Amino acid sequence: MTPDSFPRPEEQQSETLHEEAVPVNSVDPADERAEVDPSLFEEESGEPPFARAVRTTPLHLETAAESRTNLWTAWNGYTVPQIFTDLGDEYRALRGAAALMDLSPLVKYRISGRDALAYLERLCAVPVGSLEVDRLRHVIFCEGSGMVLGDGLLFRLAADDYRLVTEETHLAWLIDSAEGFRVRVEDVSATLAVLALQGPLSAFLLAELGCDDIETLDPFAARWISIGGMPVYASRSGATGDLGYELWCDAEDAPHVWRTLLGKGATFGLRPAGFALRELARLEAGHPRAGVDYLSAFAAIDPADALPPAAIWPGFTIAPSKGLFNGGSALRAMHGTEPARRLVRLAVGGLEPARFASVSLNGEPAGLATTTGFSPALGANIALAVLANGAVGAAGLSVLAERREGLSVVETRLPAQVLLGPAFSHRRRLAVPAGLRP
Amino acid sequence: MSRSGNTFDAIVIGAGHNGLVAAARLTRAGRRVLVLEARDAAGGASATSEIVPGYAAPAIAHLVDAFPKRIERALKLARHGLRYAARDIPSVALDPDGGHVLLPRNRREFSRFAKRLPRDAEAYRDYADELHTQAALIAPLLGDMPPDLREPEALRKFFRRLIWRGEISGGSALQNLMRRLPESIGDRLDADFESPLLKGAIAFDATLGGAEGPYAPGTSFRAVWREALRTQGQGLRQIAGGPGALIQVLIEIVSAGGGELRLNAAVARVFIENGVAAGIELLDGTLLRAPLVLSAINPRVTLLELAGAQCVETHQALELSRAPRPGTTAKLNLALERAPLFTGLAAELHGARLLIAPSLQEVDEAAAACNEGRLTSAPVLELHMPSVADPALAPEGHHILSVIVHSAPHEVEGGWPMQREGFVQKVVRRIASFAPGIEEAMIAGEILTPPDIELKYGLAGGDWHQGDLRLDRLLAFRPAPGFGRYETPLAGLYLCGAGSHPGGGVTGLPGWIAAGAAIDKMEAGR
Repeated sequence: MTPDSFPRPEEQQSETLHEEAVPVNSVDPADERAEVDPSLFEEESGEPPFARAVRTTPLHLETAAESRTNLWTAWNGYTVPQIFTDLGDEYRALRGAAALMDLSPLVKYRISGRDALAYLERLCAVPVGSLEVDRLRHVIFCEGSGMVLGDGLLFRLAADDYRLVTEETHLAWLIDSAEGFRVRVEDVSATLAVLALQGPLSAFLLAELGCDDIETLDPFAARWISIGGMPVYASRSGATGDLGYELWCDAEDAPHVWRTLLGKGATFGLRPAGFALRELARLEAGHPRAGVDYLSAFAAIDPADALPPAAIWPGFTIAPSKGLFNGGSALRAMHGTEPARRLVRLAVGGLEPARFASVSLNGEPAGLATTTGFSPALGANIALAVLANGAVGAAGLSVLAERREGLSVVETRLPAQVLLGPAFSHRRRLAVPAGLRP
Repeated sequence: MSRSGNTFDAIVIGAGHNGLVAAARLTRAGRRVLVLEARDAAGGASATSEIVPGYAAPAIAHLVDAFPKRIERALKLARHGLRYAARDIPSVALDPDGGHVLLPRNRREFSRFAKRLPRDAEAYRDYADELHTQAALIAPLLGDMPPDLREPEALRKFFRRLIWRGEISGGSALQNLMRRLPESIGDRLDADFESPLLKGAIAFDATLGGAEGPYAPGTSFRAVWREALRTQGQGLRQIAGGPGALIQVLIEIVSAGGGELRLNAAVARVFIENGVAAGIELLDGTLLRAPLVLSAINPRVTLLELAGAQCVETHQALELSRAPRPGTTAKLNLALERAPLFTGLAAELHGARLLIAPSLQEVDEAAAACNEGRLTSAPVLELHMPSVADPALAPEGHHILSVIVHSAPHEVEGGWPMQREGFVQKVVRRIASFAPGIEEAMIAGEILTPPDIELKYGLAGGDWHQGDLRLDRLLAFRPAPGFGRYETPLAGLYLCGAGSHPGGGVTGLPGWIAAGAAIDKMEAGR
């Protein structure tokens, strides 16, 4: 080809532009099968698709105004406060009065349609058919191999309308699983804000704000209430091991709800709390977090990192009423065999906060601590750790802890033991009616 | 069990030959069987249909090449009236210049073949020998249930046997087979043969029914697989009265055994009770109960639409619905008022299977056009004139020409309603270039494009084989990994159609093996 016959770049471009098919929005309103709002995937102009955006939650301006430390962290791609004032103060507010947290970065899916129940029944490894409207339950979902993909809270909002709240994104799997079901799966994370009001005074504060009969709301139940004139879907749930509520509202309403709660609650000891406290409270309550304490089966590059549900939640069994579900045949085939590794709660000796990761049994490596922290409730270092099955019941567990003294690092071996229950769990959490006075 | 009107021992969905073979085997085992057919006639892809009154043509499939003798004997088909109009039908590669090549079946034909194509004779003999050896190696896998992928011992046994057979048939048989697995038939023919005509004919046979062209990897093995399937049967045969006669015989056997066939009975869903298949519900709401349901229709439709996606796990549903390539084979049936005159074709070969695939390039171009949704101007065809051996199919002196059009796209540029006429003309013009004057002899015709086949005969996607015969979709992977043993995750529901091992073609094998598996399972459960 001679240089003359070579088309100039502009010409080439204009040609390809003409040839490009015009995207047709072919969404059929009669088709109830899973589909995603295409605008979710529309690229922002000028940004490469792999660019990572810094996102803020609907409460960002409010939390920024409250932050006294300017300590921020990233959670699911969102910027959230790590600590507002001081972790100790926030902890005392949570355990002594109440704490308010912004949990909006949680991933929220709306699952609706005629086959929503059948779809969820097959998706989840726990029975969901008995879930009533305005109730929620903890669900686990597995891959075909029986390994856990994730866990979350499942709300039944209406007969055929569910909300699944998870720590990590699962949209591809949810849509893949929708094949053959008349069900619609939507990611509603961006439009739904979540506030966690947790602590012994949380019911009292809601009552003070005019939510009558809030104490009659059962654990794992939800209802519509009004806070500062804003409609809020309040569920009695939370991962702190104490009485608490999670408040689900429109992204636009969330700042007003936040201000109303803090305005009213501050005199009673309500404090905003950051991500660090959420992690500490969850660790005390003993809840594993997806992506940190266990890996989704798809993310586990080493297959040994994938765990079956019983290795993470010791009480997990397949309900007799459960029919076919994802991972079911593999889990039933596994029945009776012990998982090679288990997630356990550890208490570690030593009276001051320590950093540690590897767990040994009589000097031999036995596992890894995945989340660690110093529990004021227990007065000890605690951790969630994945241990070899044989090490779980054994005596002689220890961790190699690091302690900084000035510029030097002191390594000490601290004894560890497996905790049978969570480090913190108050009977207030499940009391009915909920206590209005601590 | 009470024998009321709506309760049966087993229900078979789909009255094609596989469904009826399964039903016949179940009846033979003393089961009370109900066969349901959505259309107003039984037969599925192996029916006889009238183009116009008096002219009966094989609707879709026109010849039988792999119907096993053991099924024929076990079901006593001959005693119930199955007759063959022609046996051991030869295949002829038609040459535009009249130098047609008869693919040799015996020594005498081979010497004539060697005179016609002296430079390819040795290569063809080697090719046929190797094909035969390799087919013999894998043939035993075809007549039986594939091994259970979850049982290492079964797999070990499976491979041990395969290796053992390879050792017996000579040291290099297995190595050669391994080499053929990923090879394309086009590359292999280019390396070994010279005659374009011969290359075209072999490539046509290796790719027929699939969407891939002759240069696609894996097509070389397809030739081996087809040959192995052929060894299950008794050579290429033509059933007297058309394939529909086989269906009639099977229906007779089923009803003689106390079974029943219901036409116009479209199934709405599989009825599930306590987590097991307990019958089916018809579109009109009728509930029919049976502890055993066998489906001869498309596996994906069976599991995801009739049984419901809640009966399979996500990864299985994904496997079942992954890239279902639609059918790429069309059918043209012509009624002729006189015998067509193929230039240079001996009179005794008019009843042969005639291949119009003059070169490898044309087979390749037809496949490429098909993949792009275009119609090629030089379609590659398989012709058969059933009225030569079976004159009763048409009025005296008149003939039926049954044409299989390879590489016809399911979706065509401009849409089929626009392209239909042009497509027929292209095919007829192509035939006329070998048999001048055929246009004048045509008195009626019927064209079945892949969408027509889907609509009229209910084959999902218009796919004759319910899923391409590809290496990754054979044996225990047919129709999808985990479904290779006819069972489904829904207890009591079995697959028994061409979508299951060993696949498409008028073989009856999927139906036969599936019914056997279902009977064994039920007896073991008692």
